Amino acid sequence: MKSTSYSEKTLDHFRNPRNVGTLEGPDVAVGKVGNPVCGDLMYMYIRVKDDRIADIKFQTFGCGSAIATSSMTTELVLGMTLDEAMKVTRTDVADALQGLPPIKMHCSNLAADALHDAIKSWREGRRGETPEPPKVGEIGSSCGIPVSSPPAIEGADVLLGKGVYRNVEDPKAFIDKRVLIIDRGKPSVDIALELTKHTGRVIFMSPTKEPSSKDDPRTGLKRSDVKVIYEAEPLAVLGEGEVEKVRVHDLNENDEYDLFVDALVVLEQAGN
Amino acid sequence: MPAQVYLDYQSAKPVDPRVVDAMRPWFTEHFGNPSSLHTDGDEATEALEMSREKVARFIGANKDEIIFTSGATESNNLAIMGYVTRNRGRGNHIVIAESEHISTHNIAKAVEKQGFKVSKVGVDQYGRVSVEKLRRKVIDATIIVSIGWASSEIGTIQPMQEIADALHGRGIALHSDAVAAEGLVSIDMRKVPVDLLTISSNDIYGPKGIGALYVRKSINIAPIMPGGGQERGLRSGSENMPAIVGMAAAAQIMASEMPQEMPRLAQYRDRLIDGVLGRIPRSYLNGHPKERLPNNAHFRFEAIEGESLLLSLKDKGIAVSTGSACSSKTLEPSHTLISCGLLHEEAHGSLEFTFGRWSKSTDVDRVLEVLPGVVERLRSMSPLYQKEVKL
Repeated sequence: MKSTSYSEKTLDHFRNPRNVGTLEGPDVAVGKVGNPVCGDLMYMYIRVKDDRIADIKFQTFGCGSAIATSSMTTELVLGMTLDEAMKVTRTDVADALQGLPPIKMHCSNLAADALHDAIKSWREGRRGETPEPPKVGEIGSSCGIPVSSPPAIEGADVLLGKGVYRNVEDPKAFIDKRVLIIDRGKPSVDIALELTKHTGRVIFMSPTKEPSSKDDPRTGLKRSDVKVIYEAEPLAVLGEGEVEKVRVHDLNENDEYDLFVDALVVLEQAGN
Repeated sequence: MPAQVYLDYQSAKPVDPRVVDAMRPWFTEHFGNPSSLHTDGDEATEALEMSREKVARFIGANKDEIIFTSGATESNNLAIMGYVTRNRGRGNHIVIAESEHISTHNIAKAVEKQGFKVSKVGVDQYGRVSVEKLRRKVIDATIIVSIGWASSEIGTIQPMQEIADALHGRGIALHSDAVAAEGLVSIDMRKVPVDLLTISSNDIYGPKGIGALYVRKSINIAPIMPGGGQERGLRSGSENMPAIVGMAAAAQIMASEMPQEMPRLAQYRDRLIDGVLGRIPRSYLNGHPKERLPNNAHFRFEAIEGESLLLSLKDKGIAVSTGSACSSKTLEPSHTLISCGLLHEEAHGSLEFTFGRWSKSTDVDRVLEVLPGVVERLRSMSPLYQKEVKL
């Protein structure tokens, strides 16, 4: 079966999704599941009244079935008690959509999980909170910048001067290069912004979550041409005689992937 | 011919009706086997050799340098596997580009299992191989380098002349899969010293299931499939005459129409690229801005996923492709996009438009009319884009 052989019902929910949007207020809880790296990210907002789901909205980044299952889930559980909603499974969602291509079953899993996460938030008293950005600063200083030395990057010493930089003296050396800059506080943010004048591809990688405070120097990267990756760190830099790619650890998904770059900047000194 | 707005010519092309006409007699009227010695056989032999001549002329080759195969996958296997098998005494190292289509990566994997070492040369952010980097990858033990002439996906054209020059005189064979480039850029074996070249028939509006491998006279390869010894012993099996005649007709038509067709398609491509980038915020072009196939426009859109885009356009009667994992058999994003340095989330949001022989100027109008709304609708649902707007 093709990955896009969707039922009419699935296509209907994709074309006319029900309950798209967000909810706010003290009687609202939010659930989140997925990761853009995997191609799916969902938020499920529930308003609870008398232990029932009185209103529900969703936001989804994902494929056709990710959108359809989000929509279907909201329709299925609206009006249910929280206990009833907790029992809604991925099979229920897929069945309600007249089935899904086997390879897409994980998408329906996600929608049910996001709902269950929202109910869990509600029951744990996390109500009236906006989902993003989450709390920062788990590592190091007050604005979420790691002060301690980051873990050693395997291969960085071997490729030092061959695409690995400990400081940036001449930004012109980066013309037309794909540069990955590791978060080392404000100086690294400044370098990232400076380098966008010299190359079209600047990626900034931070181990912590997205900044929530305006005092965080990383907020300067919003609206810039820097591509930012949060909750990730470099494990190893790979290449024969020069930097070819960086093995990245996605901390959120606990997954690893390769990022092809020409240069890696890890500043010697961290700063705020 | 395509009824809807068909902008996925890189995936499949209709067979040109003129090609079908040329093929038709070879199903019933002329059914002979070129190996037979009677009149029907002689007739087939003559048509086979005339077809070989036409295909050779299309790429500036000699007739006896063309081996008919079942298509590009077989040609690539015969080129790489056939070459390393025959020449293993000369070295145990091969080089391919990171950006190659997954099928070439899989052939390289099979070659590795035969005891060879494989190096992959990286590409820049536009998907182009650097000749400098390639030079550093090549070692004394290298016997063959395989680099696709152009990417069927992102449309980037490789500097084949420079690559061939860099390898010249080093005793290293150069193979190129030219299926994406044939009919869209001029390919002449008298000018560019490529040793092995893969071409396919459907990519020039011929039937599927037929292709060819160009093997330069000085190059020796071994067959990968033992049998009756057809095609100079390199590709056994009774010749697929209707398809061979069809491929030859397609090559002949393409050769005569290319000079007018290339600028026509390039005009559509440029209008689409300018229109999309100008109308849709946070949209980007994948592949090389200049060194790209005249029929290819490949975009990525921030905060949305490619399969959703594809389905939405399908609903509007527009056929396109995406490099998103969600539409692939493996749920892995396109290897070519990743090799350009894109993040997975960026590869997921990619969309490919390819023009062809029956494309019209109004196809571009229709996309530009529909796409901004489709992108906006999906972004309005996406938590990733909301964040962008708020901050």
